[in-house]
Amino acid sequence: MNSLAKASTLSSENISVWFGERQVLSDVNLIFPANKVTALIGPSGCGKSTFIRTLNRMHELIPGAGLAGSVFLDGEDIYGEDFDAVSVRIKIGMVFQKPNPFPTMTIRDNILSGLRLSGRKIGNADEIVETSLRRASIWNEVKDRLNDQAISLSGGQQQRLCIARSLAMNPQVLLMDEPCSALDPGSTRRIEETIKELSSSMTIVIVTHNMQQAQRVSDQTAFFLADDNTPGGVVEFGSTEQVFNGPIDQRTNDYVNGHFG
Amino acid sequence: MSFEPRPTVQPWARVNKSRRAEIIFAALVPLAIAIALIAFGFDRNLTLVGVFLPIQVVSASVVGYRAFGRRGVGDAALIVFVFFLASFVLVLLASVVTSLVTQGSKALSWSFVTQNNIYVSNTTSLDYGGVGHAIVGTLMIVGLTTLVTVPLGIAMAIYLTQSQSKIKNLVRTLTQAISGLPSVVAGLFVFSMVLTFSWEKSGIMGSMALLPLMLPTVARVAEEALRLVPVDLRYAALALGAPNYRAFFQVILPAAKSGIITAILLGVARIIGETAPLLLTVPINNGTSWNIFSGSIMTLPAYIYGYLSSLFSTSQNRAWGGALVLMIIVAVLFTTTRILSRPKSMKSKPTKQKASK
Repeated sequence: MNSLAKASTLSSENISVWFGERQVLSDVNLIFPANKVTALIGPSGCGKSTFIRTLNRMHELIPGAGLAGSVFLDGEDIYGEDFDAVSVRIKIGMVFQKPNPFPTMTIRDNILSGLRLSGRKIGNADEIVETSLRRASIWNEVKDRLNDQAISLSGGQQQRLCIARSLAMNPQVLLMDEPCSALDPGSTRRIEETIKELSSSMTIVIVTHNMQQAQRVSDQTAFFLADDNTPGGVVEFGSTEQVFNGPIDQRTNDYVNGHFG
Repeated sequence: MSFEPRPTVQPWARVNKSRRAEIIFAALVPLAIAIALIAFGFDRNLTLVGVFLPIQVVSASVVGYRAFGRRGVGDAALIVFVFFLASFVLVLLASVVTSLVTQGSKALSWSFVTQNNIYVSNTTSLDYGGVGHAIVGTLMIVGLTTLVTVPLGIAMAIYLTQSQSKIKNLVRTLTQAISGLPSVVAGLFVFSMVLTFSWEKSGIMGSMALLPLMLPTVARVAEEALRLVPVDLRYAALALGAPNYRAFFQVILPAAKSGIITAILLGVARIIGETAPLLLTVPINNGTSWNIFSGSIMTLPAYIYGYLSSLFSTSQNRAWGGALVLMIIVAVLFTTTRILSRPKSMKSKPTKQKASK
């Protein structure tokens, strides 16, 4: 990897999502500026995870999912004619809640799997493996056993391997859906440090249930909420500082101060 | 207060020492009674089920009651039943294998495995002639069926797991229905086609008759294997920008490899001993034939069937020998495939962990 891709600005316009007849998200307008970390917070079932999936078209895998609105990557609509789901996902990477390294592959092959799966040329494999693992700050732990099976790693290491696997694709945007919720505090801290370092080269969107984590890693925060039997939506969106210390909406205030949720 | 160790307690011991004698007594008394009854001339099987089992249940329950109270009774009775049924199955299996080995080993020799059946009559010594031609035929016919069925079966399993089509459940039900098809009917179907279209009976007709018997097994077991692959892996692959087919071939299929190999093995096991379809569709001969597309070709089941009804003891021995060879082929096939398909992680893990320390 000679040059890293430039970070991109991602924005959503009037995103609404339906699962069958039921609307789960209504009119979400958010902007994720380049090199910024945005945290999506809110109680369970408010549509955060659904929303983050619409940003790289992963929601399309759920049967019956329907979408209205647009998502712009540097001004281009990822649902437009110039894009298909595969080319979107190459540019916008994703890390899941549960570490999911490929169990049949070695650590090294896991890193290269993205390039192989998307059918791209692998230039200098060793360099890609090392750079990606270094960027996910797991290189020192695994450099002597790159040919071990990925599932021999601990949970925290597996998650950082999954981050490194996404980084090998050199994405412009990295989406993280509760990446630390299955991990211990030590692993969580290391992943948070990784997120901060990565934000210098990409745009990051992270869903989290952990208020402290949102405050530690993010530059701006969006608070999602779904009232009973109504679709979820953004209640408040602003700088993390403002959302946590001077929320405008009473409901945001209640949530960030732990009065409900 | 002092914390002295309590030497009499052994938490890791399954049985309290003081009860050991009781347990041995409870186990031996029913056995002794059963042996005595059999020695007096009672029917062996009747004694085992009608006398030994009830007495054993009662004596075990008594011991269980003395040790644990009422909950011990149920435990003890269940343990006795489970052991009895498990040994019943084991004895069944062992007796099949021993009768095969004792009867079959009379015929089994290197020449029996390699030679064919030309110039062999009912009175020819067992030193001459063998099942070589039948081994060739069986391997070729079953191999051809496997070659055709495995891609079809896996394709069907992919359809049943990945598709969101509405008629999927109908397809699955029909597959299950086919797996209940009597093999003779599959043979008759191909036989009727041979008659209708005036085809020639040959090895390939046998393969065709075996196909509907193997396909449902492969498809259903492979489907279960694919279903066990976590959906997370598919999402991970697709999130990396993989088209569906690459996600399937590079991630999902390798993750299900061991289960799919089981599916193939079960499919082979299902058809390798099938006799009726082959008798109807494959003309038999005594010489070795490498041509399954035309002419006659021998198979092990047909060989066994042909000799088993003979009145001559050497011929019966040949049939037993053929059955033993069939069993050995299946055993060899299963073990080698299992060893070759063992996951890499199981082989490399222990050594690597030591090294990393």
